[in-house]
Amino acid sequence: MNTGRIRVIVRKEWLDMRKNKMVLGMMFLLPLILVLMILGTAAAFRYVPEQMSDPLVPEGTPGLPPALAQMDTDDRTLAILNDQYMFYLLMIPMVLPVYIASYSIIGEKETRSLEPILATPISTAELLIGKVVGAVTPAVIAAWASFALTALGMYFLATRPVFLYLIRPIWTVGMLIHSPLFALMSASGGVIASSRLNDPRAAQQISGLLVVPLLGVSFLVLMGRVYLDTGTLLWVTPIILALNAAILWLTVRIFQRETILTRWK
Amino acid sequence: MIHAEGLVKRFGDNLAVDDVSLEVRQGEVFGFLGPNGAGKTTTVRMLTTLVAPTGGTAWVNGHQLGVADAQVRASVGLLTEAPGLYPRLTAVENLGIYGQLHGVEDVPAQVRKYLTLLELWDRRDEPVGGFSKGMQQKLAIARALLHEPPALFLDEPTAALDPEAARVVRDFIETLRGEGRTIFLCTHNLDEADRLCDRVGVIRQRLVRVDTPANLRHGLYGRSVRVRLAQPTPGLEASVAALPFVQGVTPLEDGLRVALDDPETHNPNLVRALVAAGAAIQYLEEESHTLEQVYFDLMAESREAVA
Repeated sequence: MNTGRIRVIVRKEWLDMRKNKMVLGMMFLLPLILVLMILGTAAAFRYVPEQMSDPLVPEGTPGLPPALAQMDTDDRTLAILNDQYMFYLLMIPMVLPVYIASYSIIGEKETRSLEPILATPISTAELLIGKVVGAVTPAVIAAWASFALTALGMYFLATRPVFLYLIRPIWTVGMLIHSPLFALMSASGGVIASSRLNDPRAAQQISGLLVVPLLGVSFLVLMGRVYLDTGTLLWVTPIILALNAAILWLTVRIFQRETILTRWK
Repeated sequence: MIHAEGLVKRFGDNLAVDDVSLEVRQGEVFGFLGPNGAGKTTTVRMLTTLVAPTGGTAWVNGHQLGVADAQVRASVGLLTEAPGLYPRLTAVENLGIYGQLHGVEDVPAQVRKYLTLLELWDRRDEPVGGFSKGMQQKLAIARALLHEPPALFLDEPTAALDPEAARVVRDFIETLRGEGRTIFLCTHNLDEADRLCDRVGVIRQRLVRVDTPANLRHGLYGRSVRVRLAQPTPGLEASVAALPFVQGVTPLEDGLRVALDDPETHNPNLVRALVAAGAAIQYLEEESHTLEQVYFDLMAESREAVA
């Protein structure tokens, strides 16, 4: 495995993305909207609290985590709203790269650039890893930047307990470690669809379906059916890593260069 | 340089290439001719390790297919049928990617060298999507050469180009030949093959014939000279046929066609004999057959053989 060649593909993907304003806009617009929504909500709680007085979880609700139970009603409501927004922010690196990845091989087929690139010393694994990493990195950077912006905004707009509740390990670990890992998984799925299909729309629709199980898990957590604490998150990390390795191996295995080259017209 | 032994490629029930064995020497321009679907591109794809042969094997620049595929790819340049460039990227960016993938030491210098050679340097920072077909093809040639491969596979390099752009590409191939590179040229353009190739191979699933264009002509038609006469000369055909070095005589409307095994040696004797027999010679020239004629006759021969 030659990491230099992987880096070349990653840089090529970024370069291409940078020159495609539509894709680039899509990559950064959604996280930005989310950040504005989170900070807008915090600002509303700070500056027009009487409009936001309906508590999501009334005081004395049983089973509340101690950090929430100790907050006043407005802070608790804002903290719970933040948690919901954070789920969406966490999902951004899973959802956005899949659309880029699903076009990655089909795009090469359309421009007929797959044959010249496969005629270089690059291996299939190097090419596909480059494609996956190239699709994932901008979305992860966008999500991390959004998380940093959110935390910074909360530092100034919210009370200290709400700010500390936002940057607790479950979100920071989730954002820094798990979100990129799930993003790699969904992007690998996108590359698989892109390798097997010839129509970019079909590939994007099928890739979209691949994200559903990940979204399902997220919603279960959101609905309180699955409880995730930092310990659980760290415990599942090796499993997610192993799953990633398995999916990447599968991606390389089912990439049939011969079929792609000879059947694509 | 390129040595293939019994290459076979099947796609399901479809036999694309059957038992192709050939040898292309270093510094040679080898033309690969055949109709659409004859197996030219598939053979090139096998020789550049893009598809695996179903049977047989080959060595390219000393590296065996299926054993040292990465080394084969590192030692060849491939110009595919379509330029296959990244339209949003500039010429420099397109070439830079390939230079890095091939591990070229000084990528910017190589990019500059080939963009200058192919007269694209002034357009280096423009997205290639806006280039004409000829410019894209030149850029694709530059891409194939960036890592200075000793062997170059060119698949239809002048197809879909206007005559001017095609000429630029052909001139560039001539230049490459001068550098001692081995060039494997797939083409439909028989005039191009005739002008550029040292030897040609005609394929129709199987390799029909491999030889120099001149030998292919001689093999099919022999060598002959055409004698044009000012007026008919009675008895001339019989006296020419009686000459010991003449292999055959065919009367023409305005003269004779005389088959000779070595016109360079026998033409002076033939002229002397014709004059002695009273012939009023207007001119005498060796008859030439175009590679197109050769190609069609070989194709007809191969169809008959299959039938």
